Amino acid sequence: MSDTAAPRATAPRPARTGQGQGALLAILALLCVGLSLATDTFFSGENMVAILRQSALVLIVAVGMTMLLVSGEVDLSVGASLAFVGCVAMDVTNQTDSFVIGAAAGILFGGAVGLMNGLVVTRLKVNSLIATIATLMMLQGGVYLFTREAVQNGHQLTAFTTLSTGYVGPLPIPVILAALICIAGAVVLRLTLFGRTIYATGANPVAARLSGIRPGRVKLILFVVTGLLTGLAGLILASLMNAGQPTAGRGFELTVVAAVILGGTSLTGGRGTIIGTLLGVLILKVIDNGIIILQWDQNLQMIVPGVVIVLATWLDMVRGRARDG
Amino acid sequence: MAEAPALDMAGIGKRFPGVVALDDVHLRLAPGKVHALMGENGAGKSTLIKILAGVYRPDTGTIRIAGEQVTLQSPRDALARGIKVVFQEIALIEEFTVAENVFLGEYPVGGAGSIRWDRIRADAAALFDRIGFGVDPAARVRDLPMSQQQMVEIARALAHDARIVVMDEPTSSLTPAEVEQLFAVIRRLTSLGIAVLYVSHKLDEIFAIADTVTVLRDGRHISTRPRSEHSEDSLIHDMIGRRIEALYPRTRGPATDRDILRVENLSAPSGLKNISFHARAGEVVGFFGLMGAGRTELAKAIVGFDPLRAGRITVDGRPLAPHDTATGVALGIGLLTEDRKREGLMLDLPVVQNATLAALGKWARGPFVDFAAERRATQDYVDRFNIRTPSLDQPVRLLSGGNQQKVLIARWLMRGLKVIVVDEPTRGIDVGAKSEIFALIDELAGAGLAVVMMTSEMSELLGLSDRIMVMAGGRITAEFPVATATQEAILNAAIV
Repeated sequence: MSDTAAPRATAPRPARTGQGQGALLAILALLCVGLSLATDTFFSGENMVAILRQSALVLIVAVGMTMLLVSGEVDLSVGASLAFVGCVAMDVTNQTDSFVIGAAAGILFGGAVGLMNGLVVTRLKVNSLIATIATLMMLQGGVYLFTREAVQNGHQLTAFTTLSTGYVGPLPIPVILAALICIAGAVVLRLTLFGRTIYATGANPVAARLSGIRPGRVKLILFVVTGLLTGLAGLILASLMNAGQPTAGRGFELTVVAAVILGGTSLTGGRGTIIGTLLGVLILKVIDNGIIILQWDQNLQMIVPGVVIVLATWLDMVRGRARDG
Repeated sequence: MAEAPALDMAGIGKRFPGVVALDDVHLRLAPGKVHALMGENGAGKSTLIKILAGVYRPDTGTIRIAGEQVTLQSPRDALARGIKVVFQEIALIEEFTVAENVFLGEYPVGGAGSIRWDRIRADAAALFDRIGFGVDPAARVRDLPMSQQQMVEIARALAHDARIVVMDEPTSSLTPAEVEQLFAVIRRLTSLGIAVLYVSHKLDEIFAIADTVTVLRDGRHISTRPRSEHSEDSLIHDMIGRRIEALYPRTRGPATDRDILRVENLSAPSGLKNISFHARAGEVVGFFGLMGAGRTELAKAIVGFDPLRAGRITVDGRPLAPHDTATGVALGIGLLTEDRKREGLMLDLPVVQNATLAALGKWARGPFVDFAAERRATQDYVDRFNIRTPSLDQPVRLLSGGNQQKVLIARWLMRGLKVIVVDEPTRGIDVGAKSEIFALIDELAGAGLAVVMMTSEMSELLGLSDRIMVMAGGRITAEFPVATATQEAILNAAIV
């Protein structure tokens, strides 16, 4: 309370910001410089916007996934949910001729999937890796019960297509949405009481419980948030493809988790930042983009990120060991 | 000096981040003798035996075995050089038989590479005969009581031709009759010329079995003397470095007569049976019991961490929702856990976030945390409790045990509790910091909290409590006001 303590109590310094992110930023800069020198198409406003647009879907879901991983859980059903959401949203829009109802149906469907995951994990105490793989299987099978083929756009509402193709100023709408969600996620994690309980839940669930926090409730909320964000991403994807594709989103969950882990979030919980996730997504998408404009073999789009993730995780462990002496 | 000592450690030093665990410690074991290693928790006993076991490498010093200088590279290396450490946690394969465990890793092999199970059993039987150890070699380890599992570990030492056997608190889970059996086996070992290092802080055992006593305190060698030169007083003095009264300063007044915590007819799946007691404002109620008595289980049940089977808990007259810590904390009851690292701390997170975890709502501005206010409050406690940390942002894992414990006490004080349950409050804390923790507990009670203290340390129990409850087998077996309690009466009630 005394005045002398005041100078020490300045800006908040949440756990380990700026530690691994310098390295990520350097990797990203190196990639960008290298690609700018190697090609004359990489460094252009158009290509930058394209990269951001491709990052948007992953980033939207990755914000939820980051919070979920910080709390010590994971959701591998997001890819399958993404496809199902697109089909549901398109179908409901076709039947009601209302963008709002169709969009709400898609997002709520995603939220419901998240709620189911959360209940299975927190109430039935099934390990989230297993529970959400099970959900993934149910959704992948279930979507074919719902529709055998792509749900085509039968309503021709402009709002539906504008969601993915529209611009605000120079930026595509999906990029704006992703940016807003990113900022919201960063604020929640860094500055709010709820953010603190997320870190505590992941860092030590027993300590959290003994301190009067209900870790199960925190995790349930985060599963639902991740589900809702997946709903939004699925909606944008359906708009982008102008159809609900039951086969969309295969492997999407791996890209999301990979970006989050690359961003320095711990698989075991208690550590992670949205900034790191943002950098992780951008690195993976710049690599993607580079492979395309260099006209390398497309299969490298999977192989290179795989190698990058192993290296990044290993570097993180080496740093961790150095820190612990 | 006709014979080289079985073991000669000199100038042993070992540091960990933030702590000097051992500083210039020496230890010399004679063959065929029992050497006791004594000291309070945190004195450096476990570090020293982990060095002997090859788990840690000392930073300084030399180790000689039978005159020859050695470096113990790994547990396997230590064993190969004839050192066998029997740790408190038994390291046997429960699903294997006794004989299979004894010869684990060196099974005799017959033709076609098949294991000679018959020989393993016969060799085990012969070995047991030699040390007077009556256990069926074909029994499964899982089915044996703790005491016999311990003896299987010792037999394993002999199968490896160990010349030095180290026993770490070997009696902590034994009944008195089992302790007698253990002593018989120890005497048999020494008659075979084996040097035994007996690590304990129990005085009666030392006087019963040891030839020589070495005392460590704060990681330093304090004394090595023949047992015959020691009295109980001189040993205690060496161990804690001052008189008990000085270690437990009492500044608080007498307890009030206002009940804050009431526990009625509590039973729980964890083994608690029909427990009733109460604690008053300003009172320290000390619970004593041997391992498995149910102290930790009781602590976890009354704060709502573990489920109940029956019973009622009230804080200031208001009932606790069972199996829900959130309502417990809201009513003002919290647990200072015995296992700081696993259940208390968020090791990688900074001091400030660890300290404020239970009281975050205090610094809320809408949904946001007021970081400046949070840091000011934490800094206050860091200053008041003399918490030694370079900054509020230091990851709490880098603090010493005593300072970590103070961070956790600060966590509860910030929350403002009415009842604090402290479970083994000084486990793994060095002696200097111990007295600070004692002073804090005294202060908590002085401030009007009801303190429920679970402990297995007799001196702590007698030094801090107003009232003493003794537990055995999940029940309360006796209650004493501290003025009339004696060690003997307490132990008798604990052994029931």
